[in-house]
Amino acid sequence: MMTFSLWDIVRNLLIGGALTLLLSLVAFALGGATGLLVLFARIGKWRAPRALAQMHIELFQGTPLLLQLFTLFFGLSLFGLDVPAWLAAGLGLTLFTSAFLAEIWRGCVEAVPRGQWEASACLAMTYWEQMRHVILPQAMRLSIAPTVGFAVQVVKGTAVTSIIGFAELTKTGSMIANATFQPFLVYSLVALGYFILCYPLSRYAQALERSFHAAR
Amino acid sequence: MPLVSTNRLHKFFGTNHVLRGIKLDVEEGEVVTIVGRSGSGKSTLLRTLNGLESIDDGVIEVDGATLEVDRADASALRNLRQKVGMVFQQFNLFPHLSAGQNVMLAPQVVKRTPKKEAEEIARRMLERVGLAEKFDAFPDQLSGGQQQRVAIARALAMSPRVLLCDEITSALDPELVNEVLGVVRQLAGEGMTLIMVTHEMRFAREVSDKLVFMHEGKIHESGHPQAMFAKPATAEFASFIGSLN
Ligand SMILES: Nc1ncnc2c1ncn2[C@@H]1O[C@H](COP(=O)(O)OP(=O)(O)OP(=O)(O)O)[C@@H](O)[C@H]1O
Ligand SMILES: [Mg+2]
Repeated sequence: MMTFSLWDIVRNLLIGGALTLLLSLVAFALGGATGLLVLFARIGKWRAPRALAQMHIELFQGTPLLLQLFTLFFGLSLFGLDVPAWLAAGLGLTLFTSAFLAEIWRGCVEAVPRGQWEASACLAMTYWEQMRHVILPQAMRLSIAPTVGFAVQVVKGTAVTSIIGFAELTKTGSMIANATFQPFLVYSLVALGYFILCYPLSRYAQALERSFHAAR
Repeated sequence: MPLVSTNRLHKFFGTNHVLRGIKLDVEEGEVVTIVGRSGSGKSTLLRTLNGLESIDDGVIEVDGATLEVDRADASALRNLRQKVGMVFQQFNLFPHLSAGQNVMLAPQVVKRTPKKEAEEIARRMLERVGLAEKFDAFPDQLSGGQQQRVAIARALAMSPRVLLCDEITSALDPELVNEVLGVVRQLAGEGMTLIMVTHEMRFAREVSDKLVFMHEGKIHESGHPQAMFAKPATAEFASFIGSLN
């Protein structure tokens, strides 16, 4: 039987952790960009895009992430599309993230008082001028804390992709645990890995929240 | 030809018939004050004049810019709004921008005025309302009266032909009312066309060329303020004056 040194375990987990980080970053970046489009569709004047955005949000908020991944992974292969685990993981988390961020941001845009819309309209600004110079800057300040908070959810959400076989931190952990017969040690290290990724984010979110309340 | 003119103006909120055929002409340089009981449609009338409320019938004309039912597209609105400035009861300054930036924003964005020139305009406008030294202050560092004066400067920076003021002193502590009224008085003296709604009846009598009494969505009585107060023509206006003191 092969023996594993602690360093072997840690080294493999570091690779898994790097993939977790990468997946989180990709999902967050692409999900953020998509979320922005969904947001503008959702709060815009046009009916069809608004309904579509609403459906998108409800679908991805209303079903478990796990099932979204299964559907992508197995569903697409029904159509003869061979989806690799990393693609299904990235796509699934991106869609999931876009729905939640769009909804978080919509709340922030709607929290900007109506008087701000009216005052800028009176100055003859167009919708996009109002958005860009008056509404979004204020909404963005409001959104920083909840957005960073949600980033923590995304990092933890990546663990679910282990089920479809994507070798991120959790999947790597379970493989090593099976091979070493040291599940407690390995899963403790895995948990530590998530903690190291998430703790700074949640502290950052808290600090932002506090500075925001102090400023207003 | 009047600078501002409305005809057959009707507005519904659902089944609530709020404006019932308003005909109002305002000459250039005229100061018009609209009074009336709560709910009589004063704010709604002002807000239709720059398209903040859509109309259900009638026509609005300001200095050649026309707004008609079914013809209130974005460009017609933008055209109208460049000629009509508005100041609100709640100031509505942009909280993320300094006083100077509040004033500079619309000239830069809407009129494409270069930044340097916009800044000069902003400094001039802030000086006009007595706040030259507050250029870099943020709204939450200013008193209510100062904020309202910045809001006036912001509206003036677009060089509107007419300024609408909806109860602009009603949200202020009593000791701050006069500094804002002072600015309005000064604007009136400079020949600015003003249409305002106010509860400051003494001030209205002093500066207005014309008083308009609204009652149930109509202009019930209008004329020179001194004459109207001396001799109300309708029982409703008489009772309105009576209720003031
Ligand atoms: N956005 C709105 N939606 C529905 N009804 C409205 C709206 N705005 C005003 N109204 C109604 O229209 C009528 C006239 O309101 P308006 O605000 O013009 O009155 P006002 O004369 O300005 O009163 P006040 O002196 O209280 O400011 C009222 O019955 C009011 O309830
Ligand atoms: Mg009102």
